[in-house]
Amino acid sequence: MHEMSLMGDILQLIQEDATDKGIQQIDKVELIVGEISNAMPDALRMAFDIFRDQNLHLFTETAELVLHIEEAKAKCVLCELEYRPDQKIALCPSCLVPSGKVLSGETFQILSYEGRN
Amino acid sequence: MKITLRTDVLTNNNKAAEFNRELFQNTKTLVINLMSSPGAGKTTLLEETVRELSGKYRIAVIEGDLATERDADRIRAMGAKAVQINTHGGCHLDARMVAATLTEFDLDEIDLLFIENVGNLVCPSGYDLGQHHKVAVLSVPEGNDKIPKYPQMFMRTELVLLNKIDLLPYLDFSVEEARKDLTEINPESILFSLSARTQEGMHEWFSWIEGAYLQCVQQ
Ligand SMILES: Nc1nc2c(ncn2[C@@H]2O[C@H](COP(=O)(O)OP(=O)(O)OP(=O)(O)O)[C@@H](O)[C@H]2O)c(=O)[nH]1
Ligand SMILES: [Mg+2]
Ligand SMILES: [Zn+2]
Repeated sequence: MHEMSLMGDILQLIQEDATDKGIQQIDKVELIVGEISNAMPDALRMAFDIFRDQNLHLFTETAELVLHIEEAKAKCVLCELEYRPDQKIALCPSCLVPSGKVLSGETFQILSYEGRN
Repeated sequence: MKITLRTDVLTNNNKAAEFNRELFQNTKTLVINLMSSPGAGKTTLLEETVRELSGKYRIAVIEGDLATERDADRIRAMGAKAVQINTHGGCHLDARMVAATLTEFDLDEIDLLFIENVGNLVCPSGYDLGQHHKVAVLSVPEGNDKIPKYPQMFMRTELVLLNKIDLLPYLDFSVEEARKDLTEINPESILFSLSARTQEGMHEWFSWIEGAYLQCVQQ
């Protein structure tokens, strides 16, 4: 996986925004990570720690990373059941037909950050 | 102070992908992003595709690999233009790498552009390159468990080329099961069984390309 480079992009995007706003220090970063988004939470945490310890960007030594995990959910177009998909993402557990559409779980977003001037 | 962004992490990639998409559309270039695990047969399939279709279409290939020019050389040996991208450890191609490479082509003079992604069933699936179609190659020796184990790849591709079916008699791979697993992840995806080695089943792939090309130029 490529969480180091993803985290590099995330910190870059935040830093650009913070610089525009005249923010000098960043204490906290919040991300939304979908369960089927391809990004691995543990690897993201590790990457964040590595960047922070290198004192890169505007991030303080105690800067914190908060991950909001977005559950994978799908909904059957036949019986309208909402279910948590396993590997068989489209398979409705009730109809046993591949009639499910993914509702959530693919998001991978920077939700917010907290900073000081 | 708290600043809410709600920005997609891949926002820069997506911008570059849109840039590429517009270019491909304006120049009527059909672009196919081929993804698979290492060794599934992407380059072999492309060699055979160039051999079959180069009389009819002007074909070019972008080859993505960690290192070496080997795959691009194989395509050049078939008479098509190929540009190699070396990712130097990067596990996937992104839209910016593709955009940078496009300067080496005259897209007005190209009908079909194939992008062979880095051999990897996980990372490439998340990156939009601006292509018209994402195609996954799966090969018989990899075993039946690959579709359920890598659902993110197969939920984001619309066609699976099941390659190396010449090896079916020697292995316990079940094509039926692969079709069922694929349908349960992505009911819209289709699967062609073929062998780039023996040519069996390749016509289905070639006619799919012709259909996709017509659709692309009519848009
Ligand atoms: N038996 C058999 N072997 C095949 C077939 N297609 C490809 N191969 C062989 O599989 C091996 C790998 O093929 P490549 O085309 O290099 O695979 P690739 O997906 O491009 O590999 P990477 O670029 O390294 O990810 C080669 O030895 C091919 O000759 C096939 O249909 N049948
Ligand atoms: Mg190859
Ligand atoms: Zn149902």
